[in-house]
Amino acid sequence: MSGMIVRAAGERALRELVLPRPGLVREPLLHFPLGPADRPLVQRGQLVTPGSPLFERIPDAAVAELELHAGEEPPAPGTLVDESTPLRIAAGRSLRFEGHGRVLYATPAHRLRAAIGRHPQTVSSPVAGTVELVSPAAVSVRASGLGLPGTLAAGQPAEGRLAIAAPGPDGELAGSSIDVASAGAILVAGARVDLEVLGRARAMGVRGVIVGGLASRDLRGFLASEARQRAAMHGGSPFALLVLDGYGRRPIPLAIWQNLAALEGAPVAISIEPPLLVLSADAAWARPSSGRVRIAAGDLLGREGTFLGPAAGLRGAAGVEQPAGRVLLDALEDETSGTERTLPLADLERLA
Amino acid sequence: MAHDPLAFFTLDRGSASTAAALIAQVEGRFRLLAHAAQPAGLPVDPLLARLAGDVGMAEPGLLPVEGGETSPWTDWPRLEVATRPPRSALLAAATERRLAELEQVVSGAGWAVAGRISPDRTDALEATALALGKGLDLLIVGAAGRPTGEERRALPDLAALLQAVLERRRDLPCLLTGAAAEAIEGWPAARIVLGPAPARTASLAPDPLRSLLRRAAGELARQAGQRPPHVASGRAGAERAPAGPADGRAAFTAAIASLAAVLGQRIDAVDVGAAAGQRVLATPEGLRGQLELVDAALVPEAVLEDDRLADAILAWSTLRGDTFVLRDRVRNLRLWPWRDAAGEGARLRLAAARAALVRLDTAWRLADGGGGNAAADAPADLLVASGGAFAVAPAPAIALALLDTLRRPGGMALAYDHARVLAPLGSLDDEGDRRRLLTDLLDDILVPLGSAVLATGLRASRHPGTLRVRSHGQALEVELVPGAIQVVDLPPGQTGTVELEARDGTWLGMRAKRVAVEVGGGLGGLLVDTRELPLRLPERPERRRDLLAAWERPLWQEDAE
Repeated sequence: MSGMIVRAAGERALRELVLPRPGLVREPLLHFPLGPADRPLVQRGQLVTPGSPLFERIPDAAVAELELHAGEEPPAPGTLVDESTPLRIAAGRSLRFEGHGRVLYATPAHRLRAAIGRHPQTVSSPVAGTVELVSPAAVSVRASGLGLPGTLAAGQPAEGRLAIAAPGPDGELAGSSIDVASAGAILVAGARVDLEVLGRARAMGVRGVIVGGLASRDLRGFLASEARQRAAMHGGSPFALLVLDGYGRRPIPLAIWQNLAALEGAPVAISIEPPLLVLSADAAWARPSSGRVRIAAGDLLGREGTFLGPAAGLRGAAGVEQPAGRVLLDALEDETSGTERTLPLADLERLA
Repeated sequence: MAHDPLAFFTLDRGSASTAAALIAQVEGRFRLLAHAAQPAGLPVDPLLARLAGDVGMAEPGLLPVEGGETSPWTDWPRLEVATRPPRSALLAAATERRLAELEQVVSGAGWAVAGRISPDRTDALEATALALGKGLDLLIVGAAGRPTGEERRALPDLAALLQAVLERRRDLPCLLTGAAAEAIEGWPAARIVLGPAPARTASLAPDPLRSLLRRAAGELARQAGQRPPHVASGRAGAERAPAGPADGRAAFTAAIASLAAVLGQRIDAVDVGAAAGQRVLATPEGLRGQLELVDAALVPEAVLEDDRLADAILAWSTLRGDTFVLRDRVRNLRLWPWRDAAGEGARLRLAAARAALVRLDTAWRLADGGGGNAAADAPADLLVASGGAFAVAPAPAIALALLDTLRRPGGMALAYDHARVLAPLGSLDDEGDRRRLLTDLLDDILVPLGSAVLATGLRASRHPGTLRVRSHGQALEVELVPGAIQVVDLPPGQTGTVELEARDGTWLGMRAKRVAVEVGGGLGGLLVDTRELPLRLPERPERRRDLLAAWERPLWQEDAE
C-alpha cells in the first residue's frame, strides 16, 4: 500500500515538474498549402484514401496577362484557368490563357493577370481521411489515423510501408543499407542521417525517412534538392523527411523505436504540416510505463530512466540554482544495474 | 477574504517559462518572500503551492493568518501577466521607401514581418503567394498622408492586386494607413481598419500607428480566443488564471515608467524573452521611448534558416567546436529555450542574450533617428535587465553582457529583475498602487549587479591614467588599462566615488582629464570599461573567443555541481 502511495506521489511530482513529450494525436488535421496557381481537386467533406488526388500543383507558374476591353467585367480573383476552356468575359467574347492556373487580378489599366503554368502535377493524399477544408490557401484533411508528432519535416507528404533501417535508436542509416528493396518504404533511420544518404534513398525510390536528429546543413541541402525536384518538369515521387527530435545527432526515444519496430511493414505516411508520422487508426502502440523519463539535453542526451522524485536544486554557474530531480537511469549494456543521477528538471521529458 | 498581513502572488507567463513570486507584508512593508520559475506548459498551481510551502516551513509568521491558522494559499490574490505570441503581418507599399518606414513602425510594435510587397520587389504571383502563406494575421498597406507622385502613380495597381488578394484570403483583415485609405472602395469593409500614415521620421516616442498596432495585436489575440499555449494546455478548471491576463510587455513598460518616477532617475530597461525583446526608456517625467522587437528574441525564429544570424550569436560565445555543431546547438536553443541551461549551455544562452541586445540596440538607434529626444545616446542612471534570457547566468556576467552591448559613455548603475516581478506590478491599474509597491519592494526585486563606468578614448602610454575609488573612508587606487575591463570589488549596499584621471583625457560623454562619478555596489562590483565604442571583436574566431573569455573570466566563476 505504502509503495503505491509513494509511486502515486512520484507520478504526481513528475506531472507537476517535468514537461511531457508530445504523445500520439488522434485523427490529426493535415494541411496541404496551395500556391496562387494550384487547383484543388477535392471538395469539403469528401472522403479520401492514400493515393486520392488532392490538388493540382503548377510548379512552373508565371504571370501571364491578356487585355480586357473597357466595361468588361473581369473574372473573380482565383477563377480557374484552363487552356482548353476559354474564360467568358462578355457576351460573345472570351479569353484563353496558354496554360493552367488561376486568375490573379485585373489591373486598373484593363489587363487581366493570371498565374499560369504548362506542366501541372497531381498531388495525392498520403492518408485516408475526410477533406475538412478547401480554401485558396490550403486543402486540409482530417486523417483517420494516429499522428506521432515530430519537430520538423521537409519535402512532400508521402506514404509507404514502414521499415527499420538503422541498427538501433542511436544508430545511423548507412547508404549501403539502402537498395532497390527499399523502394516504396519509409525508413526509420536512427539518430541521424546525412545528405548523401538522403539523396541515395530518394534515388532508390524510398518514400521517406524518419530520423531522431538532422544537422541543419543537411536540412538546408535537402531543401535545396527538393526545390530543384519540384521545379523539374517531372517532380518524381514524393519524398518526405521527418525529424522526431531536433538538430544534430539525437537518438530516437526507445519507446518510439520499439513501437515503430513492432509496426514494421505497416503502411504509414509522413505529413509536413504539421510534422507527423501518421499511423493507421488500429496501430498497436504501447505506452511507456509510468514514471519514465528521457534526458533531452546535455551529456546524457537520449538516455532514459525512471523518475524517482525531486531533488535539491543543482548549483550551476556562480551559484545559479536549477531545479533538479533524481532519475534511475536504465542500465547500459555493460552495466549490471542502473545508476541514479540528479539532473536538471528542464533537461528531462516525461514519456507520457 | 481580507487577511492580515496581506500576501499575493505575481505570475509572469512567458513564451518559454513562467516566473512566480510570493510577496507579503512584513512589518507594514511588502517584501519578496520567495520566487521560482519553471518551463511554460507545466501547471502553475503546484509551483505556487511550493512557494507557499517553502515560506510556511521557514517563516510561517510571515504568511497571512485566518482564524489563527495560515490562510490557504489558494485564496491569495494573483497579479498575472502573459506574453502574447507575436502577431504576423504582411506589409505592402507603393514605394520601397514607404515600405521601409512602415516596416520600422510595424516591427517596433512587436509584430513579425512575414513578407513585403512593393512594385519594385514583387510581381503579382509572388505577392499572392505571400498572402496565401500560413500564419498571417494582418495585411498592412502603407502610404503617406500626402503621397508623392511616384507613390500616387503606383498605388492604384497595388490596391487592385491587394483587393484581389483579400477576395481570395477571406480570413485576413487589412489595415490601410495614410492615403491607402483612398483605395477602400470595393474592399471588404468589414475587414478593413483605417490608420494613420507611418511616421516619416523615426522616433522612439509613442507613435499613433505603433499604438494602433499594439491594440490590434491585443484585439486579434482576443478574437482568436488565444491564450498562451501553456495556459490552453492546462487542466480545464484546475488553473485559477483569469480569462485574460494583462499583456506582459505593456505591463513591463508601465512598471519602468513608475520606477523612474519612484527613483527620480532616467531608467533604461531591457527585457529579452524567447518570443521577443523589448527596450523601455523612462524619466521621472514619463515614458520617453519603447520598442518591442520580434528580432530581439533570445534566438529569433529566422535563426532556423539563417546561418549568419546563428553565427552572430556564436560570435559572442566562448564555446569551442565545429561551427556546424554549434549552429545546431543554437537552433535547438530556439526549439527548447528552457533546456541545456547548465555549464556550456548557460554560456551559450548568455551569448544569445548578448546578440539579442545588439539587435535591440541597433533597432533602438535606428528608431531614434531624428526623434529629437536624444534617447539612444544619453546614458541612463539605471539600466535594468529582465527576461528569461538572463535566468541562468551569474549576476556579474549579466552586468558584463549589458556593458558589452548597450554601450554609452558615462557611469550608470545596473540591476536585474531576477524574480520577474516588474511586469506583474506594472499590470496594476492604479499608478499610486504601482509606486507604493515598487517603493516597498525595490531592494528585493532589483538585484544590484553593480555600477559601470564606460570611459573611452584612453590612449596607451606608460601611465595612461589612474582610477581612485573612495568608499566608506577607504580609498583604492589602480592604474587604468586602455581597452580593458577592470573589476573593482564594491559589494551590494556600498556606495562610493570613482575618480578617473587620464593624462590625455578620456571620454565620458565629454572629454575630460579628471572625472568623478558616484557609484553603488553590486554583485558584479564596479566595472570600469575602457574598451572602444562601439566594441569591435577580432575577426578570427580563436582570438575572439580568447578575448571574450579573458573579459568574462573574473565575472563568471564556475561552481562545481
